[in-house]
Amino acid sequence: MVLESPDIQKRLEKFRKAPMDGQALKRLVEAGLTWLRTNQQTVNALNVFPVPDGDTGTNMVLTMQSAYNEVSNLGHRNIGEMAAAVSQGALMGARGNSGVILSQLWRGFSRGLQGKEVLDGPSLVKAFAEARDTAYKGVVRPVEGTILTVAKDVAAAAEAGFQFTQDPIELLERVVKAADESVQRTPELLPVLKQAGVVDSGGKGLFFILEGMLRHIYGLPLDTPLVSVQPLSAMNLESAMEEVEEGQDFEVVVDFYPQGELDLQSFYGRLEEMGTSIQVGEGDGMYRMHIHVPLENRYRPIDYIMELGTITKVAMENLVAQMDEIDQRTRGDKLELANIEPGQIAVVTVSPGPGLSRIFASLGVAAIVEGGQTMNPSTQEILAAFENLPTDKVIILPNNKNIVMAANQAKEVTVKEVIVVPSRTVPQGLAAMLALDPNGELEAVAKKMNKSLTLVKSGEVTIATRSVEIDGVNVEKGQVIALLDGKLVCSAASAEEAVLCLLEKADAAQQELITLFYGEDLTITEANRIADKVREVYPRQEIEVQDGGQPHYLFIISVE
Amino acid sequence: MKIGIVTDSTSDLPEDLIEKFGVEVVPTLLIIEGKEYADGKGISRETFYAQLPGMKVFPTTAAPSLGEFSACYRHLFERGYDHILSIHAAAQLTTTVNIARQAAMDFPGQVTVVDSGSLSLGAGFQVLAAAEVAEKGLQAALEAVRWVQERLRVYAALDTMKNLRRSGRVPGAVAALGGLLSIKPVIELASGVVKALGAVRTTEQANERLSSLLRSCAPLERLAILHTGAETRARAFLKRMMEEMGRSLPRDILMLNVTPVIGTHLGANGLGFAAVQSLLAA
Repeated sequence: MVLESPDIQKRLEKFRKAPMDGQALKRLVEAGLTWLRTNQQTVNALNVFPVPDGDTGTNMVLTMQSAYNEVSNLGHRNIGEMAAAVSQGALMGARGNSGVILSQLWRGFSRGLQGKEVLDGPSLVKAFAEARDTAYKGVVRPVEGTILTVAKDVAAAAEAGFQFTQDPIELLERVVKAADESVQRTPELLPVLKQAGVVDSGGKGLFFILEGMLRHIYGLPLDTPLVSVQPLSAMNLESAMEEVEEGQDFEVVVDFYPQGELDLQSFYGRLEEMGTSIQVGEGDGMYRMHIHVPLENRYRPIDYIMELGTITKVAMENLVAQMDEIDQRTRGDKLELANIEPGQIAVVTVSPGPGLSRIFASLGVAAIVEGGQTMNPSTQEILAAFENLPTDKVIILPNNKNIVMAANQAKEVTVKEVIVVPSRTVPQGLAAMLALDPNGELEAVAKKMNKSLTLVKSGEVTIATRSVEIDGVNVEKGQVIALLDGKLVCSAASAEEAVLCLLEKADAAQQELITLFYGEDLTITEANRIADKVREVYPRQEIEVQDGGQPHYLFIISVE
Repeated sequence: MKIGIVTDSTSDLPEDLIEKFGVEVVPTLLIIEGKEYADGKGISRETFYAQLPGMKVFPTTAAPSLGEFSACYRHLFERGYDHILSIHAAAQLTTTVNIARQAAMDFPGQVTVVDSGSLSLGAGFQVLAAAEVAEKGLQAALEAVRWVQERLRVYAALDTMKNLRRSGRVPGAVAALGGLLSIKPVIELASGVVKALGAVRTTEQANERLSSLLRSCAPLERLAILHTGAETRARAFLKRMMEEMGRSLPRDILMLNVTPVIGTHLGANGLGFAAVQSLLAA
């Protein structure tokens, strides 16, 4: 660390003199959020599976954003009250499993500060300990090598540090260091991380939040990422839906070979004058630059990079037009949702595509939350979907393993009687819907729906977002890959090949019915062509083709 | 007092039992592409169900006429019966009971018409129970019918929603089920009302649901495995259930292809059962 700098020393003096009250906590939360957002892409890139799914960095940023929004206008000086408000905001905005765990950390943290006017050493130690305990309790089977481990090591560092210092700032320094080291150790604890060659993304996100707070205290900038170059394979450009900031209309990606050594510091500096969402990757001497720029700046990165070396490829996309297209597609016609009467059971389901929403509606779903692999809905969104239904009995089908926790959290914050039937895939959700009896007894119905989750095998076919070897399958970025019940089973050159490989792995020849839900990236003609191939290979099985409309996933497949 | 028992052909009583108990059966009509078939005659059930999925015109059905009922009742009185107990398919699903009631008006105090609230052997078991004790008089017969009605459970897993939807004889909530996805509804018939218990997507899942429903009914006094042209499936299902449930099943189990008059509304390849729970279970 750069503690020797006189500026920082002066700033620390100032911090030590002022009381660490609610307003100070608010600024720390903002700093944590800002620094996490700055490093969002880095966290997102730490994805174990090469599939477009809910990005951890994005989920954690949105959760922190909600936490900060809750307090941004609060004038509380009392740190206990402020922390409680932060916790409430995080809870409501929690998205994805990492976001939910983050919100539980905040809940525990605020509990540790309950009744406190200002922050002191003992209460900080207690807050980190409570955060750890609450987060662990919130997870059914805690896994080490994740954000939980980092939270545990953070709490331990605070406790250990207390023997040497009672100063909250010094404690925070120790905590940030411990978090950093803990993140580096995660691959040793969790084999899938080691296999994929990454550290845990949730843990890394937590580190950035804590480090952001410390950087704020030091007075270091929070809006520019540490200059870094990722391996090309880790660049996650196509994943998820790109967030489009106001005015940043164009995405420009340039591949180039620099002449001589590339001075990253000045390279980033110049790019920052042009746009946002800067990422730089390198592999075998070739560099790839990614940036979002306003319309008038769209050629500037190219002109600039031409000065630095030889450009081999330029790609430019109009993000605004793309977003419009997505909007158009998602609007569609109005869904006919089930009319629920008081006393009946209402099912709320998460659906990743308009076609799937229509199918869910036809099976008697009362409310639909849009979202799925790439857009994990928040606790608040799930809550809003059923809060106004005229019944107190609610069943939630998350249809995605990364939404289960947010659903559980929605259950915690409502007065309604809610049961989460933890469907991890769309086919599971559909199977559960078939067991719904809206007039039945809530627990019995949920039990039946739970049981029916095992009736189907779920397949997903998508494009690999990076090259990796996992579960013994070698994947090149851009290949079509297939997952069976969440496990990577095939990589192939075409969708057709991937579908057939998947069905073989699913032992489809021993099953009765194969349903292909095709995504928005496929035409019905192409989907039918592939379905015909499937019919040729599986003449004894019934093959059904449905318009799913989901993004990123060429097919969602149920085999039963 | 000599009690005569009358039913209609939708009760699905097998020929040997009809003869054994001297039950009078009034035929209902099946109309396929304009041609009338008195139920059970002119087209075998196997042929009917094999052809049903491909039929362009939906076969329709018609209740027996008032005249047929009158003739049947008169015939019995002429043969020396003092009173007639006339048991028929559920009033919510057919007009047969109403027609029987109108016919009965010509014989004041002599004909008791009962709405079975069921179909096929769900009604048939009530007829059998009445016939078995008919010698003891009308009260005994009526009590036997009520006994069965209280303990009757009828379930079916249909292969398709198509026929049920087209028949227009089920509540909107049931007919709306599935909509886009091809599904196999699991239904219950109780007190004349068809209720959806949910749906499944494969035959295997349907068999699973039916087997757990059957287990939930045990122990049983009477059981009939009902199917619509799915004999192989029905036999396999029965074999499995006999292995699983053994002694909690009755000794004599009926198995039959449901009358086309009902089956046309259910569609081919359906499987179900009518069961009467024994005193122990109730």
